[in-house]
Amino acid sequence: MIQVEHLTKRYGRFTALEDCCLSVPEGEILGLLGPNGAGKTTLLRLLLGYLRPTSGSATIGGWCCSNHSVQVRRQTTYLPGEVRLFGQMRGREILRFFAEVRPEGNLQRSLKLAERLELALTARVASMSTGMRQKLALVATLAAETPLVILDEPTSNLDPTVRRVVAEIVDEFRQQGRTVLFSSHVLSEVEEVCDRVAFLRAGRLAHVQVMQELKRRHRIQAALSGPLPPPPGELKGELRIRRERPGVFVIETPGELKPLLQWLGTLPLEEINVQSVGLRSLYDRIHDAEPVSAVPPQG
Amino acid sequence: MNRSLLNKSILEGRFLLAACTIALLAFCWTRVWLVSQFEMSRFETVIEQFRDWEHFSPVPFEHLVTYTGRVAMAYDEPILLLCVFLWVIARGSDCVSGEIGRGTMEMLLAQPVSRIQVLWSQATVTLAGLALLALTSWLGLYLGVHTNTIEEPRAPVWTIPWLGWQLPDPLAAEEIVRRPMADKVDMTHLIPAAVNLFSLGFFLAGLSSLLSSCDRYRWRTIGLVVGIYIVQLTIKIVGLASEPLAWLCRFSFFTAYEPARFVSIAVYHPESTWSLILRNEVGDWNGLGPLGYNLILLTMGLAAYLGATLIFHRRDLPAPL
Repeated sequence: MIQVEHLTKRYGRFTALEDCCLSVPEGEILGLLGPNGAGKTTLLRLLLGYLRPTSGSATIGGWCCSNHSVQVRRQTTYLPGEVRLFGQMRGREILRFFAEVRPEGNLQRSLKLAERLELALTARVASMSTGMRQKLALVATLAAETPLVILDEPTSNLDPTVRRVVAEIVDEFRQQGRTVLFSSHVLSEVEEVCDRVAFLRAGRLAHVQVMQELKRRHRIQAALSGPLPPPPGELKGELRIRRERPGVFVIETPGELKPLLQWLGTLPLEEINVQSVGLRSLYDRIHDAEPVSAVPPQG
Repeated sequence: MNRSLLNKSILEGRFLLAACTIALLAFCWTRVWLVSQFEMSRFETVIEQFRDWEHFSPVPFEHLVTYTGRVAMAYDEPILLLCVFLWVIARGSDCVSGEIGRGTMEMLLAQPVSRIQVLWSQATVTLAGLALLALTSWLGLYLGVHTNTIEEPRAPVWTIPWLGWQLPDPLAAEEIVRRPMADKVDMTHLIPAAVNLFSLGFFLAGLSSLLSSCDRYRWRTIGLVVGIYIVQLTIKIVGLASEPLAWLCRFSFFTAYEPARFVSIAVYHPESTWSLILRNEVGDWNGLGPLGYNLILLTMGLAAYLGATLIFHRRDLPAPL
């Protein structure tokens, strides 16, 4: 669905996005993560044809994003991170405008969605609260039945109930086989809805993580009364071991827990704490520039 | 053209257009009413005091002391120009930098509409509104001319009984009669002035759109257009005031805005009302005609609109602040 090849955007000497290569197949929910200024919004704006790339290319559904942006946007619905709507229109007028401006737009669908999100449509946008405006923009965006949905921080300013509904809707999109690009700072949300996560750091695509693999990874914090010996042969290549403080080690495994626990059971354990590796730790590792290679075991 | 975008532009501009239309209609009617209140002979006496300043007048004073000439001067009134320029600058400046500044361009261009559609939907509504305002100015004057009367002195006459012959009566006092102003003003003569107003408005709308297309702040766009307007007006005034600096007038777009002059051409040389160029008695070139000046303004306006389209089509859209 989305094909990004060596995409670069520079503003003078400042590089907002550098040599980004990414491929998103149809039906996938891809999360975009990164701190402010990492290049997430630049990537989205390049995909929508708002910006012209300095080099490289991007296509959506086979259409070039910079030369055929209207065709691209016919297949895409986009919710910007900074939502601003036409202030003098009322909620219903906004939905009618966005339904009419799209060839496949349907006001009834928008109204149903507004009802689902408990959105009042009689007020003028200018007099709506930030959360109400965000909900209105969400309804206008999500009501479009396009193969690709791009959401830039869709749940900012929303209450937990609406956040849950948004997650449900994204899940429905997955079932319908639609592709979703989901940019957010809320890691739990990304973890919940995405199939894959792309991490951007300082304008570069730093890492792409399949969520299914991440969910299998575990981290074990073990306090030993003695030294930690090298792991046995079958575990040696997989484990990442780091000494947290004298006698306390953090061991990460990408695979099955059973062989690791069996090995640890043979050691002089004082305390053990097992938890799954969440997106948080991966995010921190990538953005704190922690080396990715395994720390050698220490006694 | 996209119907939804047109509706949106109409929705955004409707109150301003309604206000400008009402103000223009009221002003034009009032202007004619004021003309009807001053007797022409008194006005002639007043205007004679300014004979030394005649070169600032777009028409000779002899035309200015006719009712048509006085009514036509409404097109040089600041209030009338303000109503029209307020509309074109407000709407023209809004088309790109206004939308970017408010942050609404993001959602707008997330839809399957081209940038050209966005720009030209705005331009269509702006120009339709401008045409309405130009028409309103003429209609306001028309209503004024057809609802007001003027006082006119009439030489007293003495009628010979049975024969019905009328002879001047030198002994009787001059009598004042009221006549409809429409007897003195042929409104078709004022059409070139309204067209000239539209042409100037078209150029300013194009200029505002051009500056808007390369900017991200609407206030800056408006500031630039107003700055250019003031500089151009100053150039024209300086060019008119000083004979050695008369060449400056060629560099002001106000030189192509001569509604009162075009009305005088329509009155005294009706065959040249819509001429591209004017010729003197022997058939030599005598400057551009009303159509020529209008075409200059319309061409510059169109060039500005095309420039705006090109710039907006190619530029990067900054993220909202």
